Amino acid sequence: MRGRPHLYVSYESEQSLLPTWTQRVMVGLLVFLLVLIPLQGGIEIGDRLYQPVGFLGDNAWLKILSRVAIFGIGALGLNILTGLAGQVSLGHAFFMGIGAYTAAVLGGEVGKAHWGLGLPIWIWLPAAGLVAALVGMLVAPTAVKVRGLYLAIVTLGLVFIGEHLFRNLTSITGGSQSGRKFPSLDFRLWKEEEPFLAFTSDGPMWPVFNWLDWLFGPWINFPAEMSEEAKTYLALAALLVVVVVLAKNLQRTRIGRAFMALRDRDIAAEVMGVPDAKTKFEAFALSSFYAGIAGALLVAFIGRAIPEQFNLLLSVQFVVIVLIGGAGTVAGTLMGSVFVFVFPRLVQDFSGWLTETVESGGVIGSIADVFVSTGLDDPGLVSTLEGVSPGLNVSQLNVVIYGLLIIGFLIFEPLGLYGIWLRVRNYWKGWPFSY
Amino acid sequence: MSLLILAQAAADSGVDKFVGAITNGLSLGAIYALLALGFVIIFKATQVISFAHGAVAALGAYLVAYFATVLNFPGGALGGPAWLQWTVSAVFAVLATAVVGLVLERVAIRPMIGEPIFSIAMVTIGLDIVIRTITNDFISTDPRPLGDPFGTNIWEAGPISMAYSEVATIIVTIVLVLAIAWFFRSRIGVAMRATAFDQEAAMAQGISVGRIFAIAWAIGAGLAAVAGIFSSVFPRASQGVSAETAFFAFRAFPAIILGGLDSVPGAVVGGFVIGLAESFAGKYMTWSGFGVGFSGIVPYLVMMLVLLVRPYGLFGTEEIRRV
Amino acid sequence: MKVSRKLLVLLFVLGLIAAACGGDDTAETTTAAPSDDGGTTETTAAMDDGDTTETTAAPSDDGGEDMAPPVVDVGIDLDAGTIKIGMLSDLTGAFGPLVTPIVAGHEAYWASVNANGGINGLQVELVIRDTVYDVTNHVTLYEELKDQVVAIGHSTGSPHTLAINEDLQSDGILAIPLTWYSGWTDPDINANLLPHGTPYCIEAMNMIEYITDVAKETGIANPTLAIASFPGDYGLDSMAGAKLAAEALGIEIVHDGSGTIIPGQDQLPVADAITGSGADLVWITANATFFGEVYGGAIASGFEALWSGAGPNWSPALLDSPLADALQRDYYGTFYLSPWGSDSEGMQELMAIMGDAPPTDFYGEGFVEAKIMHEALLKAYELGDMTQAGVTAAAKSLEGIDFGGMAPSETYVGEPNDIVQRESMVFRPDAALRAAGGTGTLMIEAAYTSPTAASFVFEGACFEL
Repeated sequence: MRGRPHLYVSYESEQSLLPTWTQRVMVGLLVFLLVLIPLQGGIEIGDRLYQPVGFLGDNAWLKILSRVAIFGIGALGLNILTGLAGQVSLGHAFFMGIGAYTAAVLGGEVGKAHWGLGLPIWIWLPAAGLVAALVGMLVAPTAVKVRGLYLAIVTLGLVFIGEHLFRNLTSITGGSQSGRKFPSLDFRLWKEEEPFLAFTSDGPMWPVFNWLDWLFGPWINFPAEMSEEAKTYLALAALLVVVVVLAKNLQRTRIGRAFMALRDRDIAAEVMGVPDAKTKFEAFALSSFYAGIAGALLVAFIGRAIPEQFNLLLSVQFVVIVLIGGAGTVAGTLMGSVFVFVFPRLVQDFSGWLTETVESGGVIGSIADVFVSTGLDDPGLVSTLEGVSPGLNVSQLNVVIYGLLIIGFLIFEPLGLYGIWLRVRNYWKGWPFSY
Repeated sequence: MSLLILAQAAADSGVDKFVGAITNGLSLGAIYALLALGFVIIFKATQVISFAHGAVAALGAYLVAYFATVLNFPGGALGGPAWLQWTVSAVFAVLATAVVGLVLERVAIRPMIGEPIFSIAMVTIGLDIVIRTITNDFISTDPRPLGDPFGTNIWEAGPISMAYSEVATIIVTIVLVLAIAWFFRSRIGVAMRATAFDQEAAMAQGISVGRIFAIAWAIGAGLAAVAGIFSSVFPRASQGVSAETAFFAFRAFPAIILGGLDSVPGAVVGGFVIGLAESFAGKYMTWSGFGVGFSGIVPYLVMMLVLLVRPYGLFGTEEIRRV
Repeated sequence: MKVSRKLLVLLFVLGLIAAACGGDDTAETTTAAPSDDGGTTETTAAMDDGDTTETTAAPSDDGGEDMAPPVVDVGIDLDAGTIKIGMLSDLTGAFGPLVTPIVAGHEAYWASVNANGGINGLQVELVIRDTVYDVTNHVTLYEELKDQVVAIGHSTGSPHTLAINEDLQSDGILAIPLTWYSGWTDPDINANLLPHGTPYCIEAMNMIEYITDVAKETGIANPTLAIASFPGDYGLDSMAGAKLAAEALGIEIVHDGSGTIIPGQDQLPVADAITGSGADLVWITANATFFGEVYGGAIASGFEALWSGAGPNWSPALLDSPLADALQRDYYGTFYLSPWGSDSEGMQELMAIMGDAPPTDFYGEGFVEAKIMHEALLKAYELGDMTQAGVTAAAKSLEGIDFGGMAPSETYVGEPNDIVQRESMVFRPDAALRAAGGTGTLMIEAAYTSPTAASFVFEGACFEL
């Protein structure tokens, strides 16, 4: 059916994950790009080294992208609950905490001040999800009873109760503001010293990537070494891809469609044989499973976390990701995750640029100088100083811009980034006759 | 639960401790009630929980500190005794905060009319981030005392001993609650109730929904500012308004849910119940097995228990679900 | 038709990505380029080119002269004449109000150093990152800084600093912890850290002994003690010191509120517990906001005792509050630095460089941190090795850093128990000084060390994180 992507000749093809070739190619390219990002390959022309996606090979960016992957996994979980099943939850941080501390107990070092069994990642990672899912099931009956904003506040209460528990269970969590060490992401078969697959140390390039060298070797130089950050990123990105496929697939299953029916018209859904309680039960369990996994990954990624990590702000961050991205869509959720972590860095770079411009003078510099203070005795709305300053300092400015972006995005496009993407797509679909 | 604690408390401990728990609970509850009222009024008009409420409260308290201690305006221009000058300046600052609420509504909330409520809630989170950061920049390094006339004075009558500020909190709350109750019987108040019921129908009746939104946000912001003042004075926080003030409003969430999101009497009752529960838990539930800081989560536990029995709070309107 | 349109979109998107990358690429090469053809052969653009190896920290062996250009790797550009120092500061998080003036101290210090010719002609630039007191941010931002700065000027928070400590050691980067946690005295932990100031637990020992003496002078033969604190390293380290001191002095702890001051909660239960204990002495480890709440709650019920608290407990704003009279009666404050406006040489220098900035006692901390870093960089320059590892090695060989009498001098060579700081400045709140435009701190002891603190032997941290 060349050229008619919306003509489906069978139910099967309509329901397939990637119905058209364009989509398949694009997703393939995207995955390829995801793999290439950390490898820091460069093309040497003359004596200069060109790196096509070089800025992403930067370790700091890899840390940011690793965070995007971890929060993407967690946000896909919230998207199941909020986007698909229509249950608003501010309790995501609580379930992440449950997952994180399950991982800590199962995978933590043996014989230290805090409980730890020293088990390998293939036990503690799924277990983190499962325990969180179990706790999610305990909470689900409340959701059957309480609806809408009431549910949002009840789950918010969960976060505070969770914080209280985490603060007081010191042998598990290390206690408030102190925290404990968490297991690393390294893959061990059992409790050996040497990891089977090391994600947290620099080392030689994985043999898996030899084919890249074989394929592009003549044109692109791939380094023989791989940084810790690159490995961690690749491991997390691989997990994210798996989770995305699962989340996307969920929408086609009986359970996923039950969720959507419940979200759109719950009574109608019930009449049509979608049991209210059971479906919410499943939604909470699934969502919490994802949250647990994300929580375990997050603390393994940081290496050390304090119980206050799992606070209301973390929950809010997830709600922001899902709603800014566009509730109910997998692509939107991922875009939201990128927004929340990549934008602050871009804003930071922008204010760095602003500082330099003002300090170096010139036309733009002197216009900006009216509003920008460069010293304690120079008034202005914002300041290039970071410490005590007239007006907002650079960090405060970054936070304010971030807040304004959230407001602006939602006023401009209440459907979120996914809505903007749809608009752009539709514009180009009709181009040059778009209006 | 509260009743059980009350009975046990009365039985096994001194009268002073018991009375202390009540007075503390009432003054804490009054602040919660003020915050909850603000939430409820905004919710009734715009169907949204404003996450920016705490930030607005902190901004209001800061404005009071600024007007009363730095500018001494307009109180200073009027002259008269110090307490009167402060009161005039404080009232002026509260009005200024109400204007801020008006502006916020016009700039950020009005364009969202008709959008999904969670998108609007998200906008208020954005507002919270912006206002909180700017307010913290105003406050700067040290907390800002409000320069209030209550001082550290204590009013004593028999076993009752309350700080002047606590007495003032309770009196002001009662006055404001009565004023709000009267307001809902006035023309604009009725229009607001109509808007809450059905925006389109209200518009069809010639009610300017936009104006109702604006009024609701102005009143909400003003109430938040008053709550901000009383949460930043002796004995609760004598050092004044600080970065922590903005988070105080989250503690009123159980109160609004307990009373019912859309109920004005509910907000008041919820505020006092939560305040008393927290106060009694702080005084009596000190067994180490509860863990450190248990009184802080008692409001949430009370809220959850009530919701399991009454899913729309004590006074909330049950949503009529149609297919 | 549609497919080709989609391809157009695809091309468009790829074009955008390419443009974005291109822009960044040039930006990076401009920063890297000057260092590429730098004066020394050791200099490489290690931070950009993945395939080049890091410079080894070899001291320049051709250096017969004193001021030969030093070996450098990351963060120093000899041609442009700049040194970059990274800062992991909490500017908008829980400790933002405290850290902001500390950062201001750094900024003013380096501005004055730069105006006077910099470090042997090299101008110092601060690369400041806001961690929002979040461990994840801390770790991520460290990653960003380590490829562009020569050392970390300060790292806010103990768990946060511990989270990057292994990386600091494997990357050979120096950091100054902005916490006074006693665990930093451990040589296994502080290999790449420059602890400074009096640890929390020593501070507690000093002050508890001090107020015990005051109480005894006023006629209380056997004073009793109540303690309460924030949870976490700061509060519990201080509480551990308080308990050790109480044991040594033989005074009874009638209320142990370790970790009970929980931010964001009502503090009246804490105040009740303290007043209920009827203690003669109270030791609080919190910040000015929560100290104000606990203290206000206690005096509301008519409680009178001698109060004292850790350094960050104090804020001059407390003297503007209704608590001022009671505080002047009850409170003994402490810090390891002398207060703003005292007449030591170092403080006069600090006040000169701060200019019109509103007075607070915390500029001094920024001044001390910056001064330590300054000495480390000078020493590294002298040794001819200003690589990240070279600066670390130079810093660890520093002895007797002098702060002009503002703070006790710091040494990093020797046995941990010999070089740890044990002095505390003791002050009383003074509303008259505050009214005159100062911070209202009247210094009564410039350098007090209690016998308990002086004889205490560290075998690790007072409170294990």
